[in-house]
Amino acid sequence: MNAKTIAAPITTAPRSRLRLSLDRFGLPLVFILLCVVMAFSSEYFMTWRNWMDILRQTSINGILAVGMTYVILTKGIDLSVGSILAFAGLCSAMVATQGYGLLAAVSAGMFAGAMLGVVNGFMVANLSIPPFVATLGMLSIARGMTFILNDGSPITDLPDAYLALGIGKIGPIGVPIIIFAVVALIFWMVLRYTTYGRYVYAVGGNEKSARTSGIGVRKVMFSVYVVSGLLAGLAGVVLSARTTSALPQAGVSYELDAIAAVVIGGTSLSGGTGSIVGTLFGALLIGVINNGLNLLGVSSYYQQVAKGLIIVFAVLIDVWRKKKR
Amino acid sequence: MKLGTTLAATAALTLLASSIALAADGKTYKIGAAVYGLKGQFMQNWVRELKEHPAVKDGTVQLTVFDGNYDALTQNNQIENMVTQRYDAILFVPIDTKAGVGTVKAAMSNDVVVIASNTKVADASVPYVGNDDVEGGRLQAQAMVDKLNGKGNVVIIQGPIGQSAQIDREKGELEVLGKHPDIKIIEKKTANWDRAQALTLTEDWLNAHPKGINGVIAQNDDMALGAVQALKSHGLTSKDVPVTSIDGMPDAIQAAKKDEVTTFLQDAQAQSQGALDVALRALAGKDYKPQSVIWERYAKDVKWADGTAKNYILPWVPVTNANADALYKQVSGGK
Repeated sequence: MNAKTIAAPITTAPRSRLRLSLDRFGLPLVFILLCVVMAFSSEYFMTWRNWMDILRQTSINGILAVGMTYVILTKGIDLSVGSILAFAGLCSAMVATQGYGLLAAVSAGMFAGAMLGVVNGFMVANLSIPPFVATLGMLSIARGMTFILNDGSPITDLPDAYLALGIGKIGPIGVPIIIFAVVALIFWMVLRYTTYGRYVYAVGGNEKSARTSGIGVRKVMFSVYVVSGLLAGLAGVVLSARTTSALPQAGVSYELDAIAAVVIGGTSLSGGTGSIVGTLFGALLIGVINNGLNLLGVSSYYQQVAKGLIIVFAVLIDVWRKKKR
Repeated sequence: MKLGTTLAATAALTLLASSIALAADGKTYKIGAAVYGLKGQFMQNWVRELKEHPAVKDGTVQLTVFDGNYDALTQNNQIENMVTQRYDAILFVPIDTKAGVGTVKAAMSNDVVVIASNTKVADASVPYVGNDDVEGGRLQAQAMVDKLNGKGNVVIIQGPIGQSAQIDREKGELEVLGKHPDIKIIEKKTANWDRAQALTLTEDWLNAHPKGINGVIAQNDDMALGAVQALKSHGLTSKDVPVTSIDGMPDAIQAAKKDEVTTFLQDAQAQSQGALDVALRALAGKDYKPQSVIWERYAKDVKWADGTAKNYILPWVPVTNANADALYKQVSGGK
C-alpha cells in the first residue's frame, strides 16, 4: 500500500493529469452530448419552457441528492429520504393548514426531516449500526409514521402562499428551481471552503487517519444524516406545494434516484471522493433522460433500462479509475 | 394521556356493546377482509366503511383486516392463514384478478365463504360486489368525447401497466375512442397512479405538443390532479384542455366542483358493506336481510336478488356541481 502510493506519482503523473480532466469533464461532456442528440431529435427540447420544466422536475431529486452526496462522501448511505420527504411534507402541510404562516410551515417540515436525520445519525454514529440497515429501518418507520400522522389521508386545501413554493415564479423562474439552486450553492460552498467540508471528505477517505488526526469522526458522521434529513424535509415541503397537497404515499423509491444522481455524478460509494457539482450534473442527466424520452414518446420501459445502464456505467468508470491507481 | 384514556374508554364501551349484542343474538361470525393495500385513500375508505356496517358494530361480525401490501404472495399467505384459523368468510380485494384464484378455490373447498369486492377474482364461482372498471373507462372516455365534440387529440395517463384496473379501464376507453375516428390518441404512458409522476409527464407532453393536446384522460383521480397542475403551470385551464378521470376521491370531488376535472365516483361503502351483506347471507341463510344503507341508495341499479347473485355491479356516479358537496361528505367520512 505504502510502496505503491510512493511509486505511483512517478510513473503515472502525465496520465493522471489526463484522467483528472476526464473525471472533471467526462460527465459534462456526456451531458452536453445527450442534449445535442435530444435537440436534433425534438424541436421542442431546446425551448425555454421545456428547460424550465426540466429544472423544476429535477429540483426535488436535486435537493435530495445534495444531502445524499454528504452521506455518501462519508461512505454512508441514506435509504430513508423518500419516507422522510413524505413525513416532512405532511408535518409542514399540517402546520400550514392550521394557519401558522409560511415560515412556520416550512420550518416545521425541515425540522421534522432534521429530527429523523438525527435519529439516523445517532444509529449510525453512536450505535454503530451499518448505515444501510439503520436507514432501511428508518425508511419503514418514517413511512409508517407518515400514515399514522393523518390516518393515511392526504392534506389538501393548502394556503396560496404555501403553494407558491411549488407552483410560483420569481421573474421567469420557478420557485422550486431557485430553492434548488440556493441549496446547491450553500452546500457546495460548505463542502468546498470550510473545515467541516474537508472533514467530511477525510472521514470517508480514511476513517482511521481522520481519527488519528483529531477529527471528531462520530460527530461528522452524525451530522451528514442530519443534513440529509433536513434537505429531505425541504424537498417534502416543495413537493407537497408542487402537487398542491401533502400525500402520505409520496416519494416512494425517491432514494434510488437520489443515489443514482450522486453515483452518476462521480461520487464514490466507498467514500472520500466526489463533489456537489458532479451530483448536479448527475441529477440533470436523469432529468434530461426522463424528459427526453417523454418528448420522444419512448415507452417508460426503455426509460428504466436507460437509467439503469447509465448508473452501471457510471460505477464501472469509478471502478476502473480505482484499479488504475 | 388524554387520548389514551379516551381510547381505553372507547375500547371498553365497544367490548361492552358487543358482548350485549352477543348475548341477544348468540351467533357470531369471524370474518376477514384481505385488501390489496392500505396506502391509498380508496382502500382506507373501503375499510372504514366496512367497520361501520351494522353487523360489525353490533358485534355479530368479528372483523379482522389484513393489509396485502400490494403483493399477490402476501395476499395468498393471508388467505391461507385465515383458512387455517377457521374464518367463516373472507372479503377479498385482490391486487390481481388471476393471482389469487388457486388460493381462493382452496379456501372455498374448505367451506370458507369468499366474496370478491372492488376487483374481480378470475373465477366465475366467486361472487363479486363492485364496479366494472371497463364501464368506468367507457364513461370517462365518453365524457371526453362529449367535451371535445368528437374531435381532437387526447393523451392517456395509464395506471401501473398490467394491473387489472389499468387493463380494464383502458379497454373501456379504447372501445369508446375507437368509435370516434376524429379523436386521436397522440400519447399514452404510465404514471403509476402517482400524482407527481403524472405532473411531470403532462408537462413534458405539453412541451412536446405545444397547443397540440386537446384533452387528458387519466385512469385515476390522483393522476388527473397532477395533470391539472401541469396545465396550470403552462398557463392553461381545464376549459382549454379538459381532464377526465374516475374514482371520486375527496380531492377530485373538490376539483370537479371547480370544473377542473370530470370524474365518476365508485362507492367504497357500497363495495365493502355490500360484500359483507352477501357474505352474511351465505353464512346465515335465506332469512338474512341486508343491513347496509347502500342497497337502498342504489336500489335502482342493483337488485339484492336474495343475496345469491354472482355479480353485484355498482354504478359509477357522475360527480356534478349539484351532488359534489354531498358526495364529498360521503367519501371523506363526514370530516
